[in-house]
Amino acid sequence: MLKLKNVRQCFMPDSLQEAVDILRDSQGKAAIVGGGLDITVFPRPYIEKLIFLDKLHLNYIKEKNSEIRVGATVTITDMERSLLIKNYLRGRVKEILGEVASQLLRNQITIGGSIARGHPYSDIIPLVYALRGRIVLSDGKDDEELLIDDFYRENFRELLKNKIVTEIRLKKYDDSYRFGMKRFVRNATDIPLLNVALLIKVEKNIIKDASISLGSRPGIAYRFIKGEEFLKGKKITKELAEDFQEFTEENVDVGGDARLSKTYRKHLAGVYSKNILLNLMEV
Amino acid sequence: MKEFKYIGKNTDKRDALSLATGQPMFVDDISLPNMLQVKFLYSTYAHAIIEDIDTTEAENYPGVKMVLTYKNTPHIIHTTAGQGWPEPSPYDTYMFNKKVRFVGDRVAAVAAETEEEAAEAIKLIKVKYRVLPAVLDMKDAMKEGAPIIHDEEEIKGAYDPKHNLAAHIFVKAGDIEKGFKESDVIVEETFETQYAQHCPIEPHITITYLDEYGRIVIRTSTQVPFHVRRIVAQALNIPVQKIRVIKPRIGGGFGTKQEIILEEVCAYITMKTGRPARALFSREEEFISSRTRHPMQVNVKIGAKKDGTFNAIKMYVLSNTGAYGTHGLTVASNAGSKTLPLYNKAPNVEFTADVVYTNLPVSGAYRGYGATQGYAALEQAVDEVAYKLKMDPLKIRKKNHIRSGETSPIFRALGEGREGVTQYIQSCALDELIDKGAKEIGWFDKFGKPKRKGNKVRGVGMSIHMQGSGIPLIDMGAATLKMNEDGSFNLTYGGTDLGTGLDTVAAQIVAETLGIKPEQVIVYASDTDLTPFDVGAYASSGTFVSGGAVLNAAMKVREQIFDVAKEMFGEFDTKNFVLENGKVISKATGKSVTLSEIAYHTLYVKNQHQIAATGSFVSPYSPPPFAAHFVEIEVDEETGIITPIKYVAAVDCGVPINPELVRGQIIGAIVNGLGYALTEEYKFTDSGRMVNPNFMEYKIPSARDIPEIVTIINETYEPTGPYGAKSVAEININGPIPAIGNALYNALGIRLHQTPYTPERVLEAIEAKKLLDKGKVSEPIDPEQE
Amino acid sequence: MKVHYTINGEKKIFEIKPGEVLLDVLRRNGYSEVKGNCYMGTCGACTVLIDGVPHTSCTILAAKVDNKSITTIKGVGTLQHPHPLQKAFVEKGAVQCGFCTPGAILSAYALLKENPNPTDEEIKKALDGNVCRCTGYVQQVEAVKFSIKLLKEEK
Repeated sequence: MLKLKNVRQCFMPDSLQEAVDILRDSQGKAAIVGGGLDITVFPRPYIEKLIFLDKLHLNYIKEKNSEIRVGATVTITDMERSLLIKNYLRGRVKEILGEVASQLLRNQITIGGSIARGHPYSDIIPLVYALRGRIVLSDGKDDEELLIDDFYRENFRELLKNKIVTEIRLKKYDDSYRFGMKRFVRNATDIPLLNVALLIKVEKNIIKDASISLGSRPGIAYRFIKGEEFLKGKKITKELAEDFQEFTEENVDVGGDARLSKTYRKHLAGVYSKNILLNLMEV
Repeated sequence: MKEFKYIGKNTDKRDALSLATGQPMFVDDISLPNMLQVKFLYSTYAHAIIEDIDTTEAENYPGVKMVLTYKNTPHIIHTTAGQGWPEPSPYDTYMFNKKVRFVGDRVAAVAAETEEEAAEAIKLIKVKYRVLPAVLDMKDAMKEGAPIIHDEEEIKGAYDPKHNLAAHIFVKAGDIEKGFKESDVIVEETFETQYAQHCPIEPHITITYLDEYGRIVIRTSTQVPFHVRRIVAQALNIPVQKIRVIKPRIGGGFGTKQEIILEEVCAYITMKTGRPARALFSREEEFISSRTRHPMQVNVKIGAKKDGTFNAIKMYVLSNTGAYGTHGLTVASNAGSKTLPLYNKAPNVEFTADVVYTNLPVSGAYRGYGATQGYAALEQAVDEVAYKLKMDPLKIRKKNHIRSGETSPIFRALGEGREGVTQYIQSCALDELIDKGAKEIGWFDKFGKPKRKGNKVRGVGMSIHMQGSGIPLIDMGAATLKMNEDGSFNLTYGGTDLGTGLDTVAAQIVAETLGIKPEQVIVYASDTDLTPFDVGAYASSGTFVSGGAVLNAAMKVREQIFDVAKEMFGEFDTKNFVLENGKVISKATGKSVTLSEIAYHTLYVKNQHQIAATGSFVSPYSPPPFAAHFVEIEVDEETGIITPIKYVAAVDCGVPINPELVRGQIIGAIVNGLGYALTEEYKFTDSGRMVNPNFMEYKIPSARDIPEIVTIINETYEPTGPYGAKSVAEININGPIPAIGNALYNALGIRLHQTPYTPERVLEAIEAKKLLDKGKVSEPIDPEQE
Repeated sequence: MKVHYTINGEKKIFEIKPGEVLLDVLRRNGYSEVKGNCYMGTCGACTVLIDGVPHTSCTILAAKVDNKSITTIKGVGTLQHPHPLQKAFVEKGAVQCGFCTPGAILSAYALLKENPNPTDEEIKKALDGNVCRCTGYVQQVEAVKFSIKLLKEEK
């Protein structure tokens, strides 16, 4: 049955300029469609125009300036199967991408759409957060590059009223970096109910730098800066992991909802933080 | 045992290739011209009186043909339970009513030209509710002063509606108190099971239309076509002969389609407008407004002698039937009748059940039918007795379970809404099932020795089960078999294949009996105009009851064929005749004639007549299938996550007529049961609204969630079933909760009394035990190999 | 608005509403082999291949796939000429009610094109969006493996 009743027009623009123009002119009544999962599952009744990105050639994954550049319409499956991702951070990113939702949905969910919609129960957002990803926005003429933190710190929905997410940039990390991520799900194809992503730089067993993000908490993912500070400069040991569990449990900002209680989410955040760290010790 | 040609063989499921190539076989795969689309308005309150309902705007909305409410529809009290007549469920439901009793209760329906128009018009119906206090916890239902949910005068068949008691059961054998007094150990445990849903991938769907004579044709996704016909006739006050019900292929049922939910509404619209009507539940409607599994609180008390022999078993069931009493009495009966006879060594048995109304979704029939909830409690309590006596759980079960030649007083005491029928077990392989299952899971290496790796601990658990095969002296099926020129046969029967493969089994039975190939049997089923009666697909009756009818019809046809052959051969008796490879052969004279020749002879040549017969089947027996389930799980102590590693089901279903189909029934039920044990549950707001009515939030297992599953089919011969067969469809859903519960105890010494076993609940139990255990050392039990 | 599809090799032009999803367009135009109505991408019964990639057609906007090629189960094989996957599903007992079967086979079909020798885990992953309430998946996985054998024999 038709859910998007008020949609009157579909656009398949050939250029970013055209896309942005339509978006801007429709004053909040147009939706940018990447894969289209969000708009079909959670239809917004006020939407009258759909702007498809299919002809904008944003379906690429390439390497440039020591970065992996992921076009906005790349799907999770595309990214999971990309050779550039295969050995990226020892294959851990590929592994996580393969766990998200179901094959059918991984084939539809786009990286750009995940970032632009900003859903709380996204796996992509905490992943990009932890990897210190940068979001490229286009206003049709010029590109603007924002660190993911800045993108969400600003009112990103306001930002996207006249700009389009075109690319996600991920740094190529050298071997001193280690990455791990854990997700809590009720069954294999579930939306995540808590996810923790952790990137650390380790030199001579000392954590030189750390980037941590938690998502599905149940709010939108955030960067756990206190946790990062806690780890920095410390020697990576089993004891540290245990201390880190306690620290996370005490300091992490997570809440409860109908799916999981706050107490349990806090506990999980601690356990996952510890276990990721323990796994990263063995690298 | 006799060697069979088609019985016990994997002939291909006859509809499988058509289904796998997408042929239009389901209810919704046809589209009729001028078909009206039907949408419903549901109550947003758990309990309220509709003071007024204004449908003017909706009626004036473009495309709207009809708006149905309690004001303009037949007001005939009935039950939606698709059971045999007289239904053991109370008459407490109207097509539409002035009172609404749960969030999701039907308030109105709109029939319009398009689905979109119907949905828009629904929004324009104005309802003025007078909200009443609601019962949102089954434990409050019988309390003094609780709101009365069914205060209608016409209610019939409910036990004590003034106290929200839809049904009450009390049966006993022996002297229960004396039994406990004379026991050496006593265990008492209470377990609570949750609201869960069948989740057939095809939701409820009905299409109705008038045939060229003005009769109403109901094409519907149902397990009970003949009950649909009878109950729609009743609810609309029209004669049965005005209605034809057709069941095409249906996309799964599991009990939820043993209900009359959409049929009477569509039929009424078609009757009033003369136009075809279609109603299809969305997934959300399927959750909130179709049927669910009765949540139950089950208390089990077992008294045992030192040697492990049970002396007394007492079970109390509090069952939540939701807003209406459909299947309330019988599901609660089965919680006892399908479980207690398993331990017939206990001379003192008592079973009590209170089935209460609440202002929550309506419970109904669901695979396992109360036995699942009963076993969740009983089989964990049995383990507790074993632990108390420091006995191997296998040994205590072997000591107490029922055996061939034995009976239980419960069989007679507790039937389906009436007294039951005495049963003597004629086939039972439980000992072998336990031995084979134990070997496969590695019981003797693993039980009592939980294996720890980091924070993950592995444990094993098991449980044993029985069910029934149809309802004795109640369930009847009939089949008609008719011969064609090429020696093929038309089988028309009322049996209702809901995806299980019953039509295939039926063809195998005919083929075996008449010495032809299964492909030579043309099966047409479940059409109330064209096929004989059958109660339908429930109570594990398919192979036993419908299959029994098919066998009877085939035996009659066989006699008719032999009579013709006798004449053609010029012989005097048929006792040396055999039917093989499409021929009748006289072993005495070596003469033979093909079935095709016989058909031509009888249709065209001499003494012309149609070789055909109808056979019926009703049985005083309901032979129980048996099963022993074993599971190895891994529990993450830090998160409480349970991961099933390996699941073993050893099953005695008599002769498996089609082993591959039997295996499919076993595995399908186990995986459904795993969902019920681990993830599936309705969540409600404080006002009784379900918050997770979709697959994003109600988690059923996916392909990535299943453990290694091993099925062991242990053949026995059941003399009362067709070709030695018993049932298999339901029994295997009963295992996952108790087997996993027992494995959890084995791994960590914790027992959860509420399902599903979510990580949060498991973790809570782990933490609680840690506090309790400080300094305590538990003594392990050694498994005893026999 | 009008869309051009190539469905199972045949060129088609359909009139659609701009906000419609592919499932509704396909069923309205007689492709009743495409099942499902969860409209959330959560059951997989409505699976079709779009340019060879399996998708839940209930979450794909019909306008978005203009000029693309769509494969339903009838494009994989027919009653007269079934594909080895279809034969394998029949032989291995992987079809019970059959409502999810077309979707599961399409997902498996796409998997085998990409990865002709998948492991059990890879098969389960490819089928994880096609929910089946009848079979418990075991026989489906066995069927996919068996079809590999049949495919090799056919060559």
